[in-house]
Amino acid sequence: MGTFIQLVVDGLATGSIYAALALAIVLVNQATGLINFAQGGMAVLSAYIAYAFTRLGLPLILAILIAVVVSFLIGAVIERFLIRRFEGGDPDTAVVVTIGLLALVTGICAVRWGYNNLAFPSLFPLTSVEILGAVVSVRSLATTVTIVAIMVALQVLFLRTKLGLALRAVADNPSSAALSGLPVGRLLMVGWGFAASLGAIAGVLVAPQLTLTPGMLDTALVYALAAVILGGLSSPIGCVVAASAIGVLENLAAVYVPLVGHDLKIAVPFVLIFVILVIRPQGLFGRKVVVRV
Amino acid sequence: MRTISAVLANRSVRASLIAVVAIALIVAPLILPAFTNQTLVRIGVYAVAILGLNIVMGYTGQVNLGQIFFVGLGAYVAAYGVNHDWNILLVFVAACVIPGIVGLFVALAAARLGGLAIAMVTIALPIVGVPLAKRLDEFTGGSQGTSARFTDAPDWSGLYNDQWQFYIVLLVTAAAFLLARNLVRGRYGRSFGVVRENEAVAASMGISPYRTKVLAFTVASIFGGASGFLYLAAVQYTSPETLSFGHSISLVAAMVIGGAGSITGALIGGAYYVFVPQLTNAIDPNLTAISQGAILLAVLFLLPQGLVSLPRVIRRLARRRTAPSTPSGKPPQNSPVHHPTTEAAVREGLETQRGKIDHED
Repeated sequence: MGTFIQLVVDGLATGSIYAALALAIVLVNQATGLINFAQGGMAVLSAYIAYAFTRLGLPLILAILIAVVVSFLIGAVIERFLIRRFEGGDPDTAVVVTIGLLALVTGICAVRWGYNNLAFPSLFPLTSVEILGAVVSVRSLATTVTIVAIMVALQVLFLRTKLGLALRAVADNPSSAALSGLPVGRLLMVGWGFAASLGAIAGVLVAPQLTLTPGMLDTALVYALAAVILGGLSSPIGCVVAASAIGVLENLAAVYVPLVGHDLKIAVPFVLIFVILVIRPQGLFGRKVVVRV
Repeated sequence: MRTISAVLANRSVRASLIAVVAIALIVAPLILPAFTNQTLVRIGVYAVAILGLNIVMGYTGQVNLGQIFFVGLGAYVAAYGVNHDWNILLVFVAACVIPGIVGLFVALAAARLGGLAIAMVTIALPIVGVPLAKRLDEFTGGSQGTSARFTDAPDWSGLYNDQWQFYIVLLVTAAAFLLARNLVRGRYGRSFGVVRENEAVAASMGISPYRTKVLAFTVASIFGGASGFLYLAAVQYTSPETLSFGHSISLVAAMVIGGAGSITGALIGGAYYVFVPQLTNAIDPNLTAISQGAILLAVLFLLPQGLVSLPRVIRRLARRRTAPSTPSGKPPQNSPVHHPTTEAAVREGLETQRGKIDHED
């Protein structure tokens, strides 16, 4: 039972990282209708930026805050000068653009910091506490709590503020939003900025565990995409639930199903997807979309 | 420029041009140095993979980020067959059919969601594929990889190994390109084009978008498997590294840079895939990823239909300079997964159909 609780808490922690990335992807998708395959790569760049600031001697928390702000700006600039041109066009082209962006961002990290693993300091103490007889690491608990707190803050932002209302309006119907006087372009930049900041937080939280490399979040991106498919692109809460479920399930499967093991646990969400796609093509929480000609 | 295309339109000129190219390709390995032969062989190997990717992505508009998985699978199947002394034809067929079947199953599930979901599912293939290949070490040799020598030149031929490999790859690549050309110009190619442009229209015309996507994806997987066979023929070794995520991204980049929805573009893409990393590795290995991203984005901005459209763009610019007032000087807004060749093919097809109906009347 002790191991079980430990596995669940650790699973929730990794699940919350996937959830943050998945939410960033959903945020971009809601705003601009495309899937940003570079979301993970951008998050890695953010983690490297935080790393660079810690090397300058800044305290970790300050370095992270600066990285989050810088990431916001990077996200906004990418939207304005790269993605804007392909918005409203063919979504497949936009996907290829984000693939190019992924290669570019990974390349920038590789040129600046190289492919060697770099140690990233942990924001939380590496001790563990005992809960219900199970030994649970403080880092896992604190990661989960941090991500949940940020999600609640985002939810408040979207539902209770004027900015959130404007962002939702642009996502819902850009042309009507523009007609009611909203600065659609600037709001899209803000949307991308928020997504990049969210990715930055996920990046710095997971970096101590994975150690920094340019491809650090390639696998996490795949998990996040799996969560997005399972949760449905139209449902942020669905994505968070799916991401947590994936984190917990893959951890349990790795330990309790010998066939899966630690090396093949990434196959777990995709077997799940395979089954769900056959039963419920619109995702667990997504709505069926009716296309008009 | 116009006179050149006018000459090219002539059937006999075209046939003799094809004959000249064929003879050049057959003679080339005998006089070229071994390194050049090996480079050309690798271009052929990846051109086949990119050609398959082009069928599903360029012609049918379904983003596939997992093509390298099928290349790796084909290579592993071929290595297994060779090491168990199967007949070489059987090895080739198995290396095509098994990836085809796997591709069919993946597509059956993935194509149930919209186009972007196919991208989201297929991106997982190389990421799941690498640990899977390591795990199944009975078949794959684990992380060490597996080697299989079957393309040493036989004594009777009097050829060197690189020449013999060149002919094997030339044969399969030429066949693959011919088949792909016929596929995209025929009935299926037209249905691919309609599904890419508008699925609702396709459905109203009696073309099932789901089945068309599954078909295109399966064909792409078969081409991927064939490319894997050629990879093993050329490199004689494969490991989990063959199907890594980075290579999958490179294939997509090469496809778009060469020219989506273009048969010739696949060949250019193959050349890009082989040459550019060779070049950047010589300068600094760390530059490979950044140059790839930069080149891909630059092509998407400046030449959305890929390098294959370069002559057309130059011709258009030249025409605009000579006659600035012509209304046709306005460049059409095209995406890389949109190509006039198939559009023309669709139109041509519709016309022949219309002609047929008229004839029947």
